[in-house]
Amino acid sequence: MEMFLYLDKNTYMHRLDPRTKLIVMLATFAVVLMFKAIPILLGVTLLVIAYGLSGKVLSNLKRIKIILIMINLFSVVIWSIFGKGVTILIGPLTQEGLLYGVATGIKLDVMIIAGMIFLSSTKIEEISMGLQKLKIPYRVAFAFSTAIRLVPMIVGTTYIISQAQRSRGLDLDSGNLVTRIKKYLPLLIPVFISVIRGTNVFAMALESKGFGYSSQRSSYLQIAFKPVDLFLLAVISLLLLGSLYLELVVGW
Amino acid sequence: MKEVFGMWKYTKMVVLVALSAAIFAALLIPFKALVLIPGFTEVRPANAFPVVLGLLFGPAGAWGAAIGNLIGDFFGTLGVGSIFGFTGNFFSAYVPYKLWSKLGLVDEKDEDPLLLNNTKKLINFVVMAIMSSMSCALIIAWGCEVLQLVPFAALATIISVNNTIPSIVLGIPLMLILYPRIKKWDLLWTDIVEEEYLDKKSAMAKVGALLMVVGIVGGFTVGLIAALGLSGQAVFASGFAQGQVGNVGVALLAGIGVALTVIGGFMQK
Repeated sequence: MEMFLYLDKNTYMHRLDPRTKLIVMLATFAVVLMFKAIPILLGVTLLVIAYGLSGKVLSNLKRIKIILIMINLFSVVIWSIFGKGVTILIGPLTQEGLLYGVATGIKLDVMIIAGMIFLSSTKIEEISMGLQKLKIPYRVAFAFSTAIRLVPMIVGTTYIISQAQRSRGLDLDSGNLVTRIKKYLPLLIPVFISVIRGTNVFAMALESKGFGYSSQRSSYLQIAFKPVDLFLLAVISLLLLGSLYLELVVGW
Repeated sequence: MKEVFGMWKYTKMVVLVALSAAIFAALLIPFKALVLIPGFTEVRPANAFPVVLGLLFGPAGAWGAAIGNLIGDFFGTLGVGSIFGFTGNFFSAYVPYKLWSKLGLVDEKDEDPLLLNNTKKLINFVVMAIMSSMSCALIIAWGCEVLQLVPFAALATIISVNNTIPSIVLGIPLMLILYPRIKKWDLLWTDIVEEEYLDKKSAMAKVGALLMVVGIVGGFTVGLIAALGLSGQAVFASGFAQGQVGNVGVALLAGIGVALTVIGGFMQK
């Protein structure tokens, strides 16, 4: 199974400049955080879903549906019970707590869906290039993208080490969750050591390829704002300004 | 904090950032399903790593913990809380290496200050684990309180306990096993960077360390007292109380703690 959320499709969203998608995501966070009214939050949710649909990336919702459902359930249950509202519904459940829980659940879910849309339509190298264009130093962007690429390798190494220990008789499958976690933890040490041991070779390989030779780097991947990026940025700016107006002037 | 930005010129440190981040993320991801506060935190045995990464790799470990946490969030929980998660996890690895030899528990003449071979150093490690967890909890809980997402008291207590336990229980054996090897391979950050980036034993550095301790312990404690008293929050899950999140007093008091922690870091050149 593919570890990452990226979906390789040929849509306008996939062709957008990664900076545009990053700004849209951050603007979504800002808009969602401004409001507490459920109808407005539902409206924002619909907009975010429409944005995701337009990029054909909502199939990834299947992969995060458990997280989204748990967030909503947890938020509604916890806030309803512990919220100190005045209108009692049943037992410790209050109407105010319930509404606050629903609103908070929607906020968190929308932010996570916005994050999912960004990751589903943007390749790691595009994120890295976008960060560089946003004046993040190349070495930082390099470390970030290299770390992401190394995650599957480390998971693979963990699997190989656990298989090797199984072949020597280590029972990793019996016992409850805590017992199984305890059994897996000693395997972390060979994983850590096998990964870190390669540091010197990795650094030498990079330097032999001219890593850090020049601060002016060229790249095969080129990104630039296109008319569709500018259009989307204009729309999101208007939405942001409209939200600020509703929050600060109208007081919604 | 000079070393935090200056370390990027060393290729080996850049590689250590990437490897630390990848290890941290790879261990966070499998536990994403064991949620404590959905969207914010889950059961995290990987929290044993930031203290160890910070002590061994210094600023590279701190950047690694921050980036690793962000990558972990990429697997379903990327949100506005990720910004505070990034900063909080950075400090959870940054605080231990800045304070390790400044609390008077490690002999200044010790040639192997990170080798946990006596009780004082073990106690020092435990103190570092607690300080690391409190700094991480303070920053994330303060951020979520300011944005009115999760009450300070609930999140601060859950994160501090969730970080402290693995940092101590798993961190000590990890440190005992890894330190001799990392030292042998010349991968300790103090062996990689030049003298100018290492901590100076100046009066300013001592004041900075003191400010950092006051900021973390004070910010956490006063923030918690304010949250429990001023806005009637409660600890752990009981801390979820409608209308009480976003208290200006809590945000201000905990915010002063965050500010002192950062200023203390800058003063320790």
